[in-house]
Amino acid sequence: MNRKHSLIALAIMSCLTAAPAIADTQLHLQRFFGACEAKYGTNKDVSKAEGECGIMTSLINQFEAKNPDIEIKVTTVEWPGYDQLTAQMASRTPPDLVTMHNSVISDYQSRQLILPIDSLLKKADIALDEFTSTALNGVKREGEVFGLPIDTWTMLYHVNTKLMAQAELINADGSPTLPSSPEEMLSMARQFKEKTGKPYLIQILSNETAAYTRLMYTYLLQQDSNFFADASHISLQTKEARNILSHFKAIYDEDLTTKNMDYPASVSAFSNAQGGILLNGNWLLGTYTAESNKATSAIYNAYKAMPYPKLYDNDALYVDGHSWVMPNKKRSDDKLAATAKFFKFMADNDFEWSRTGHLPSMKNVLSNPDFTSLPHRTELMSVTTRGQGLPGGVKRQFAVQDIIGEEIASAITGVKTIDAALKDAEERVNDLLGNL
Amino acid sequence: MEAPLSTFGEITVTIVKSSRTSWTGLLFVLPFLIVFIAMIVIPLIWGIYLSLHKVDLFGPGRFIGLENYVRLFSNKIFLQTVINTFYFVLLTVPALTLIGMGLALALNKESPVQNIVRGIFFSSTVLSVTVVTLIWRIIFIPNDGLMSNIFTAMDWQPIAFLSDPNWSLISVAIATIWWCIGLPMMLFVAALQQIPSDLYEAAAIDGARKWQRFYYITLPSITRTIILVIIIEIVMQFQLFGQALLMTQGGPNNSSRSIVMFIYDAGFRRWDVGTAAAASQILFLLILVAAMAQFFVSRKKGASQ
Amino acid sequence: MSHLNQASASEVCVRSPEKSISWLQNFGMWLANNKLLLVLIACSLLMLAPFLWTVGLSLKSNQELMLGASAVFHFPYTLNNYADIFQNSQVFRWLANSLIVSIGMTFWVLILSSLAGYAFARLEFPFKKIIFVIILMGLAVPEQAVIMARHQIFSALEMHNSYVGLILPGLSAPFGVFLMTQFFKAIPPELDEAATLDNANKFQIFWYVLLPLTLPAQATLGILTFLTSWNDYFWPLISATEQEMYTLTIGIASSQQNFAQSEGLGFLASQAIFSALPIILVYIFFQKHIVTAVAGGGVK
Repeated sequence: MNRKHSLIALAIMSCLTAAPAIADTQLHLQRFFGACEAKYGTNKDVSKAEGECGIMTSLINQFEAKNPDIEIKVTTVEWPGYDQLTAQMASRTPPDLVTMHNSVISDYQSRQLILPIDSLLKKADIALDEFTSTALNGVKREGEVFGLPIDTWTMLYHVNTKLMAQAELINADGSPTLPSSPEEMLSMARQFKEKTGKPYLIQILSNETAAYTRLMYTYLLQQDSNFFADASHISLQTKEARNILSHFKAIYDEDLTTKNMDYPASVSAFSNAQGGILLNGNWLLGTYTAESNKATSAIYNAYKAMPYPKLYDNDALYVDGHSWVMPNKKRSDDKLAATAKFFKFMADNDFEWSRTGHLPSMKNVLSNPDFTSLPHRTELMSVTTRGQGLPGGVKRQFAVQDIIGEEIASAITGVKTIDAALKDAEERVNDLLGNL
Repeated sequence: MEAPLSTFGEITVTIVKSSRTSWTGLLFVLPFLIVFIAMIVIPLIWGIYLSLHKVDLFGPGRFIGLENYVRLFSNKIFLQTVINTFYFVLLTVPALTLIGMGLALALNKESPVQNIVRGIFFSSTVLSVTVVTLIWRIIFIPNDGLMSNIFTAMDWQPIAFLSDPNWSLISVAIATIWWCIGLPMMLFVAALQQIPSDLYEAAAIDGARKWQRFYYITLPSITRTIILVIIIEIVMQFQLFGQALLMTQGGPNNSSRSIVMFIYDAGFRRWDVGTAAAASQILFLLILVAAMAQFFVSRKKGASQ
Repeated sequence: MSHLNQASASEVCVRSPEKSISWLQNFGMWLANNKLLLVLIACSLLMLAPFLWTVGLSLKSNQELMLGASAVFHFPYTLNNYADIFQNSQVFRWLANSLIVSIGMTFWVLILSSLAGYAFARLEFPFKKIIFVIILMGLAVPEQAVIMARHQIFSALEMHNSYVGLILPGLSAPFGVFLMTQFFKAIPPELDEAATLDNANKFQIFWYVLLPLTLPAQATLGILTFLTSWNDYFWPLISATEQEMYTLTIGIASSQQNFAQSEGLGFLASQAIFSALPIILVYIFFQKHIVTAVAGGGVK
């Protein structure tokens, strides 16, 4: 008993006395993207790193090496980390900098839980027009900038060009022929199914809501549907929304898509060439590119990634992005200066980050030959100008996304009628946003 | 041995001779009581207070009376979660009780094989919910899943276990039963081992048949354990959360969303702490009523016998 | 089946060596019993299948699994996924944290529950009934209902990111008190009476006479508490926000690169196995004791 007693006592003591002896300025960063210490824990050469985790870890190491007077403390949290962050903020102990999705910024900004960084950007000598328009819009709220955007990401058509060729849906230059209207998409899908015997689309239809919602947003934006007329009301009982749903329901009903797949199942289905086009995020670029370079793979030399094609009036795309944001708390001048340096460093190294498959937030990277020579990047560059998020003031976008995704899936799989699903989605979202 | 049916959970106990009311007893209870009050009672009362307010986590709210409750009762999704939760309890609690009892009856012996089998059935209990759901997601997923392989091999029409609204909650229940079966089984084994063997010997001499022995000796002797298991399981299964969150995210079409998921969603995803608190109070009452009802029903039965 | 089993299986139906039962009847029963046993063994294999499936996945490369989980059934197998876990140098720190928290919680739950259980079963004191009922009602409180209030209390006391902060909430679970009360009640009161005659005080009776008799119940409660604590997820997630204070569950979850788990089915499976491993090992080594303990400590 005594031993355990003292063990616990010791534990308490060590926690109480663990006040760090700070000589340098300390910056406490909290991020997702995972941990990969053993592989990259001491690596300062970013060009040798691969993947989100590796590149981020190496970037931070390099920053620390360049700034010996700044000590960085990194806490890695489970994706996406907002439960912890919210709890930390509620108890007023947030870190100095946190990774955040642009779509989440409004939640924290509207409650003054994060700070505008305009003055720090000025201090760091970063002009706002150095960011791509999409990236800047993602972090701007009420005229102020609330985060340093590091990327833009979006959903892509991951295309199996071999199957597309078999279905005679390939252009002379070897690129796949993508539809330019819903009708054309339907006929292409039928043609594809007829020639290959496989479904045209590979979709995630189980245990996931994000993919469908993003698809809905993209095609609503393309129809100029002003579905968020003001930030606390959505209108989904519209012609535009019905267009989209009836189109994708038709695809579902005619077995032109895979069914019942969850996220991992859909990812492996594409690797196995079980369908023509996978609708999923740009983060799979690296994996599939590597896969398509392997002679044993079912998608050997048969992989292309494209942004969602224009199906309606314009070519808008729904995008989101990652940013570094600054939780609201008191900071010393030294700390602010260190933060400004960190921002500058991240902005300067945006190319390295873009090697992850995400699209850059800095304009100068787009013209950087190192970037354009990366696979598929030239096709994807348009994302940084076509991309739009939801209107800046829309809060609780993760919760909204869950509701819309659920309801759309119900409509497409036939659990509900399209009208009922849209009505329910609209009511639920408005109830949520109306009661914040 | 007549099982004292009516004493389960009862407060009046055999009073030690000459022990009069004194404060010493309270001293023994005090350490637990302090933690209990600090960790459960105060947060709960605080929760009741919050449920009457429109409030998030970051500042003082505004008193709105019972509006959160009114909104909940007109919220289709919340009502659906209440139905789902009851359905889930119905799916799991009787199954856990019956399977647990069946296993215990079959394994109520001391032999190496029985010991090992008992161990195997208890082993899933040691796993965390993350591991359990990972395992079962891998089993239920279409195409590559174990089930879908079996169904294909048998040439049956495959079932979309996780994405068919009629199956999603059943699938979650199957995983839950697999995960939780160990404890009821063990509690029943314990109860069976308490039955004096001379009862069975006497019955054997009287020529009682197997089912007669079960009905007249075994069953009455383990009644208290049956009630205990049912109450524990009701309390636990009403709080369904992790399995549904990780296996189906409550879908499709909310068919597997539980009350606790609703609370989590409202509190952490929407920062609507008032509504989350109100839903928590309702869940608390539901569990209390269900457990109490079970308790009183069994007590009455016991008394009338 | 060994002869040992035949003997013990037949023994159940006929506990006493009743010679009147014929050999034939005896054999019939043995057969009937073993049929049951065979069914049970089949069932337990079914029970184990999900486990084995996951172990299989954890031994496959993620790349291969992307092509389909059926890769489990053929070579090559690899330990790379496990090696990847150790890429994170803090894994042992997290392991230690989990051990400290789980052992600490188990220890204190046993102390508090035994003290309270004894009092509820044996002593009279003011408000006893009402206190017991309130504690029982505590069983019905879901964790999510109180977690934010708890979090703020701990914030006010600055107890986050500490072992105490991780252990304390677990001590409030009423189940232990309930179990111990039931168990103390089952001990014949004559024992205390004898001790009272020897002029022992209440604490001495509790400590020297009754407590040793509750060991099976202690083992039951201890194991269940340890399991709960080891597998706890939500409270450590929001209370231990510093990496050095992560428990194994939280730490391993934080090393995952993205929610996009598709690339890492094998890695995920290995994480699952690895974090369950300490418990599984303890379980395998002490299987017999645990089973007996849980069985023996059940409420009478």
